Amino acid sequence: MADSTITRRDVLLYGGAAAGGVVAAGAGVVALAHAVGDKKTPVPGAPIVAKYVDGDLPVTDPGADAWKDAQPSLVPLVAQQIAQPFLEEAGVAELDARALHDGNELALLLEWDDDNVDDLDGIHRYHDAVAVQLPTKSGATPPALTMGAPGTPVHVLQWRATWQRDIDSGGKTGVDQIYPEVVHDVMPDDVLPPRTAAYYWVGRKAGNPLSQKLRTTPVEEIVAEGFGSVTHLPHQTARGHAVNSGGRWHVVVAVPTARTGVGEPLRPGSTWPVAFAVWLGSESNRGARKQIADWQTLTLEATS
Amino acid sequence: MATVRNWQLGRDMEYPYAADRPKKQFTMIMDTNKCIACQSCTIACKSTWTWGKGQEYMLWNNIETKPFGFYPTGWDVNILERLGEQQWDGDTYGGQTIFEAAPEGERVLGWTPAEEDWSHPNIGEDEPTGNAEDTTYIPDNPHSLMWMYYLQRICNHCTYPACVAACPREAIYKRPDDGIVLVDQTRCRGYQECLTACPYKKTMFNLETRVSEKCIGCYPKIEQGLQTQCTTSCIGRLRLTNFLSHPDEVDPRKPADYLIHVKRMALPLYPQLGLEPNVYYVPPVHVPTKYLTQMFGPGVEHAVETYRNAKDDEELLGLLMLFGATERIMDTWKVSGGVARAYDEAGDEIVAVPLREPTFTRPFEFTTDVKGVPTAGYRHNT
Repeated sequence: MADSTITRRDVLLYGGAAAGGVVAAGAGVVALAHAVGDKKTPVPGAPIVAKYVDGDLPVTDPGADAWKDAQPSLVPLVAQQIAQPFLEEAGVAELDARALHDGNELALLLEWDDDNVDDLDGIHRYHDAVAVQLPTKSGATPPALTMGAPGTPVHVLQWRATWQRDIDSGGKTGVDQIYPEVVHDVMPDDVLPPRTAAYYWVGRKAGNPLSQKLRTTPVEEIVAEGFGSVTHLPHQTARGHAVNSGGRWHVVVAVPTARTGVGEPLRPGSTWPVAFAVWLGSESNRGARKQIADWQTLTLEATS
Repeated sequence: MATVRNWQLGRDMEYPYAADRPKKQFTMIMDTNKCIACQSCTIACKSTWTWGKGQEYMLWNNIETKPFGFYPTGWDVNILERLGEQQWDGDTYGGQTIFEAAPEGERVLGWTPAEEDWSHPNIGEDEPTGNAEDTTYIPDNPHSLMWMYYLQRICNHCTYPACVAACPREAIYKRPDDGIVLVDQTRCRGYQECLTACPYKKTMFNLETRVSEKCIGCYPKIEQGLQTQCTTSCIGRLRLTNFLSHPDEVDPRKPADYLIHVKRMALPLYPQLGLEPNVYYVPPVHVPTKYLTQMFGPGVEHAVETYRNAKDDEELLGLLMLFGATERIMDTWKVSGGVARAYDEAGDEIVAVPLREPTFTRPFEFTTDVKGVPTAGYRHNT
């Protein structure tokens, strides 16, 4: 199923009893992964085992040695064609995912092929991004793959290339960067007191988290109860860092395991469903026009 | 999909949400015949709402020369081409709307302008030619006249907005009190689906705040009973900001109801797209009917004839004279004794305008007195 389009019917199945079957099938692949034994070759469909690290997690370093000890899992991606608007065709077919934890924080390294670095938002210009989706509650049945459903929310961590550039450049991610040769007439912030000029950036003044360019993390923590219901959490705890090298994005996304105010803690030894989404800015991906993955299995290695 | 009534099409149609008409609908009436494309409206809007960094290319209001002017480039011909040839059966639209023609996986048949389409805000200005033989050349005319006219464009604050239909976040909404369509600046996540869906291309993406913005109908003025900036700055006095009643509760005493429903002299822009747009145009009287019908629907000939005869209809003429005569929003009007008077909702008079300005004749030659000597004088350019 993972190599074809996910249909509405499939989603209904995942929301119900069939989800147990997905988890069971995943358990079968665990044995296969261990039998292969090559920790560097991504294994299709292998459960993602978050290796316990007794020390600092390499949250800001996708190239750290610690990541090399984590077994990558190859996660198939398909075009989102459940909710309108659809993505007509997938621009990337797979994502490599691996994970580490230190008991306090869970970190995932997500990697996919993308030659184009799209890290500015403009007219008909969209950004690269990746998202991790986790249930807020444990249980045999994962929430609907469609970003949860009313009453069964999901906890989503989204990284955007634009936010990464916000951080890397100190917020220089606007008109002057999109059009480096631009010549401005007098702008509100040239002639008005800052408090008054701020009203000319309405989204920012209104507190929209997307409109803030001076940020501390490239990862946004959100909850959702179905497509179109993304809600920015008032207390943001996720971290991360990304680089694009060799025509590939390497993105670390990390979140405290306590998940205070969001959901049940991600305890060492526990197993969770996890799903992913990838956006390619150069392919006009945004919102629902994205590549999605089916629910995968994530196990946090015991600390002892 | 819900089934909703679109009075402009004379039929029901499919729309993603159930009909929920506002108490009264913000509307603007444009008399295209009076426009000289001075762009005073454009500048009034720009200097009020969109002079911030990130809004450089935004023109919530613009004037474009038809048939060869567009902002963004090709906005109307692009959607017409995608929709394909469609048919009116008398006053009933027999074709497909952009909601009914939506491809699989989309809520609206749309297209996304490229960056360069937003780079020429006054392309085609005053341009009446182009490929003359195939387009605007009228060989029958004794003067072989080309034609062109100016189209005044703001957001149509549609009854069935395509931007609302396409937004996956439900971040765009229509105010129940006045039908003004707004983007919730805290809820938008910058997907730009509204830019793809709106056939009039009147939602725009702010490059600094990364969310969509659009014409807000000058709602802070509307809430004070005042007409919009583009209306009050118009030196041609061709605009009227007003409210339209529910189509089943037309009140002929109300200016917009009278012009749109009673006189049927002001017509919607591309009604066939199915959005029930709420900016209404008195069509230009000198433009071929075929072209006007494509743009304003099947009521064009009646509208032009009514406008040509307005000089003999005191009630209608009086109302036209009240365009641009006051910053206040007119609720009703009356004409008597050669004077048109506008009233507010309380029935108090807000302005009075004579139908004809008094005329004084001064003779060309006259007799004057130069140092005590009677002298024949004449007037020249004084």
